[in-house]
Amino acid sequence: MEQNHIKKQINSARNSLFQQGYLDEQFIQLEDLQDDANPNFVEEIVTLFYSDSTRLIRNIETALDNYPLNFCKLDDYMHQFKGSSSSIGAKKVKEECSQFQECCKARNTQGCIAAFRQVKHEHATLKRKLETYFQVSPSNSLYNTHIISRQGA
Amino acid sequence: MTEGINGFSSPRADVFPAGLRVLVVDDDPTWLKILEKMLKKCSYEVTTCALAIEALDLLRERKDGFDIVISDVNMPDMDGFKLLEHVGLEMDLPVIMMSVDGETSRVMRGVQHGACDYLLKPIRMKELRNIWQHVYRKKIHEVRDTESHESLESLEEILMMRNVSEQSDDGYLLCGGDMTPGKKRKDAEHKYDDKDFGDHSSVKKARVVWTVDLHQKFVKAVNHIGFEKVGPKKILDLMNVPWLTRENVASHLQKYRLYLTRLQKDDLKTSSSGIKHPDFSPRDAAGDRTDHIKMQQNEAVNSYRAPSNLLLQNANSRIHEVDLKGTASLQTIEPKKVLTGFAAKSHMASSSNIGISHSFGSTQYSTYNTVLPTQYSWSEGFTEIQFKQERNPQFQVENGFADLGLPTLQQHNQVNLQPVQSIANGLFSKERDKQAKSSSGTKSSFGSYSVPSQNLMPSFQPPDPSFQPPDPSFQLPDPVTSSTWSLKDDHSLEQTSINNLELSAFWLQGQHCSSTNLDMQNKVPECNDPEFIAEVPSNLYDALRFDYEYEYPSDSLEYPVVGQGLFIV
Repeated sequence: MEQNHIKKQINSARNSLFQQGYLDEQFIQLEDLQDDANPNFVEEIVTLFYSDSTRLIRNIETALDNYPLNFCKLDDYMHQFKGSSSSIGAKKVKEECSQFQECCKARNTQGCIAAFRQVKHEHATLKRKLETYFQVSPSNSLYNTHIISRQGA
Repeated sequence: MTEGINGFSSPRADVFPAGLRVLVVDDDPTWLKILEKMLKKCSYEVTTCALAIEALDLLRERKDGFDIVISDVNMPDMDGFKLLEHVGLEMDLPVIMMSVDGETSRVMRGVQHGACDYLLKPIRMKELRNIWQHVYRKKIHEVRDTESHESLESLEEILMMRNVSEQSDDGYLLCGGDMTPGKKRKDAEHKYDDKDFGDHSSVKKARVVWTVDLHQKFVKAVNHIGFEKVGPKKILDLMNVPWLTRENVASHLQKYRLYLTRLQKDDLKTSSSGIKHPDFSPRDAAGDRTDHIKMQQNEAVNSYRAPSNLLLQNANSRIHEVDLKGTASLQTIEPKKVLTGFAAKSHMASSSNIGISHSFGSTQYSTYNTVLPTQYSWSEGFTEIQFKQERNPQFQVENGFADLGLPTLQQHNQVNLQPVQSIANGLFSKERDKQAKSSSGTKSSFGSYSVPSQNLMPSFQPPDPSFQPPDPSFQLPDPVTSSTWSLKDDHSLEQTSINNLELSAFWLQGQHCSSTNLDMQNKVPECNDPEFIAEVPSNLYDALRFDYEYEYPSDSLEYPVVGQGLFIV
């Protein structure tokens, strides 16, 4: 029972991530790649993404501190960041990235700054949600299954 | 490269496409890891690289170590498109581009630069599962190309086949289309384009389709500059094709060089083997490539030049070489070589064939043999090759003696035709060999042997009256228009004759010191009469007799025929 209940919770947590647009089907692709050879594949990828994206964010922040803004360079960085975000299916993050790129095209300094703030916000939000998800998700857990099975027994 | 079961070199003998060796290049570590996992799931053998330069090094180190490359478009150390071009040029591997940006112009650029596919990130498994098709496709095309002597060779053949007439350049249209993407780019997204387009007014690095016309121009330019001294810039300037870029020319030049080298190697192999029919028949263009290369070059040049000076000039230079060796040497030219050289693809071959038909039986053969080499000696080094081969004209000569009448001719012609035909046909199909051997069947165009010659004769306009005799034979062999062999229409014959003229002029000049010519000359007035041809007087034959022995078995007649037909007067 507990097992089912927990499973359900995990499922609904996962579903809401999709429903609320935080994640897109790329995430499912990652889940599909997970197998016995790489049992924690999805988590590994997400971890990798977040460590790498930190570097990219720093690049953009530095560039945004240089006035007048080098929109070309900013767009470049953002292009990279967006590409990276697409790897884990970070949907909302990607949307904000596009917004940022629009501002670059329009050479809108304030727009860029504001858009970037949004990007960082979404980026951080998703990270939190995914961390929680991984803690409870089946792939992650020896711990969880243990608890569940024990409770179920 | 050892061909695996599936036709591609792979150390593994896995069932295709399993074991496909993929090189993934992406500066994004997350994507790199994902792609690696995805490809592994497809049972591919994956190597990852975070830097373009690193990827190139890897590719260079392990030649034939990879089957396909997947690369991201945006990379810090090198533009993905540049990498794409390098790979295409140096390794000739299929390259798939990836990007999160799916803008039409970008995708178009990718295709222009030679990408065989352009994937949008996020990439799906199913897309990766199918990448093997690009490897397979390339293999198939390579095989085809090799058989037909490579696309370059095909181009050359077609070039020769044409009659020098420049036609509208398809390439223009193609490249015209390429212009658009460049113009459409938006600043932010196409800043890469900015850098690129800054240098060129036209499409930069457009993947050019080398049409026959374009290739013709190219070869013309190369030959004009002098093969040893060519450089992309010079060629480009000479070609005067506005939308073509230096890079386009450079890459094509590289391929052309490789192609020529390969011909040369094959040619050398053939020549060293001595008199061997097999060289000629069994192989496609395997034999006598050297000659072939040169001939092709020259031919290419000559073919697109109007019956011209260049031709004559070439002929002259050649002739000198030949002359040095003495008249006799002309005669001692090894038909085999000659044949092989141009036979592989040559138009010459066809022309010689025609010549053969006109020639008076075997006599012609011998002459032909001699002559041919001369003609083909346009290319440097040809001379050597020429003299290496030893034809067995005697055999043919004898035959010729026996029946100099038309009937014989026809016989011979037919024999000759076959090889010739096959040569001509071979130009377009890889079945030269088969045709050469197939004998009588192939003489479709030569079927009416006498007819063609008749046609040819009238249309023939000898460049030099004194050399008329040879002319008819020259006319005949218009290899370029193998289709005209059937000589169905005079027009084509004329074209042929023009080519022949060139050849003959060439030959004539070369032969000027040969006694054969003199003899031939006596026959001049009669040359225009096919019957005359058929009845080559014995003295003519004598004049043409060569010292070399005929060693080829009867079925090898085909070869000698080819060579001989042409210039025998």
